[in-house]
Amino acid sequence: MTCVAVRDRLTERVLGGLSARDATAVDRHLAWCAACRKEAGELERASATLAFAVAPSDLPEALEGGVVDAVRRAAAPRGRGHVSGARRSRLTLVAALAAMLAVLGTGWGAVMANRAAHSDLAAQREVARTQSALERFQGLVRSLEFGDPENEVLLGSLNPAKIGGGGGSALTLVSPTIADMAIVLVEGMPVELREHLPLTVRLRGPEGALLVGRIDGDGLDDSGAGTVTREFGDLTGYDTVIVRDIGGRVVLRGSMQTRATVTSPSP
Amino acid sequence: MEGLLAGDDDAVRALYARYGRPIYSLGYRLLGTRESAEELTQDVFLTAWRKAARFDPTRGRLSTWLMTIAHNLAVDRLRRETGVSRPTLVLVDEVPDAPGLDEEAVLVERDAAIRALSSLTEAERRLVGRAYFRGMTAREIAETDGIPLGTVKTRLRSAMIKVRKANEGKELL
Repeated sequence: MTCVAVRDRLTERVLGGLSARDATAVDRHLAWCAACRKEAGELERASATLAFAVAPSDLPEALEGGVVDAVRRAAAPRGRGHVSGARRSRLTLVAALAAMLAVLGTGWGAVMANRAAHSDLAAQREVARTQSALERFQGLVRSLEFGDPENEVLLGSLNPAKIGGGGGSALTLVSPTIADMAIVLVEGMPVELREHLPLTVRLRGPEGALLVGRIDGDGLDDSGAGTVTREFGDLTGYDTVIVRDIGGRVVLRGSMQTRATVTSPSP
Repeated sequence: MEGLLAGDDDAVRALYARYGRPIYSLGYRLLGTRESAEELTQDVFLTAWRKAARFDPTRGRLSTWLMTIAHNLAVDRLRRETGVSRPTLVLVDEVPDAPGLDEEAVLVERDAAIRALSSLTEAERRLVGRAYFRGMTAREIAETDGIPLGTVKTRLRSAMIKVRKANEGKELL
């Protein structure tokens, strides 16, 4: 591409209106042509000025934590991040809970939807399984020093918007002493959904929706399972989980229903 | 930047303190919902982290680099989500000042934006608005308005030169 052709496209490039093919060709030219690069730089500055032209909006309180957390998580697997001791123990808790949810999530979902009750025996088995899960969960929370008696835990199952569309589980921890937390696990996501990633996981509550996180192709394993976790200032009243695909279509939905107050350990 | 590369909390917080609001505001005004703006903000910082090693301060300012990332991601999303109704765009010179909310650096950038907007005619402002804030390509504008593509390109270029010149010689951080 010649300098004339490149300069003809620079305005569109900074306004975001260039096709991917043209953008690649222009960028290739800019890599070696200092004169065009100077022109491009000036137009980029002008374009960035326009970005400051929108009226300022109020920032959601929880957003800073989400941003910091997202970058920290992205940096950590490459060994470039630093994870404090307290955070590591919390992440251990999250990992253990996620694993537990993965094993038991379907059982909770079936109980709550009354779909496992084909027979009394099956229903009893599911109830026992749920009870066992809650007891193990409480033990885990206590053992990791998050056992404040005021902590409140809600569990819920996620049901697919259409049959065969996978499922999932969710857990929220609301605490007066430590940051609140949400863990959402999706599982059995159908293969065709991979064309519509990332999945966006939100909690709905009294003040609208909070972003828990997103699950992209790397976040889903071969069985179609993935987990997102996030800390929040206050999750009181946030009792609905909605998972949408990239097109905004609801994939999974669920309510936080089972209450599991964490009690102090017996003397 | 080294702190951002390492995913250091303090470095990310410092960057967020300075540019979190302009990025979120751009997302909110372009995409129309708080959720989309939150997601965009998170994406911008993640992209900045991924590309931090490529940022060259001798070639451009940090604000230019970050807001270019923000705009590109927002426009990508605008194009993907066709058929969604868009909010009425509210620009900085249409609302009262909200003093004390932002750092000096951002206020300086905002002043530059007001100067840039006031350098444009009403027609140029509408044109730049459709291209920059609505993600319309020059071809789409030409087809919608029934005018030659070359004319749209020339007008856009002329408007962007005005935006650039409006702040020539001004000290931006």
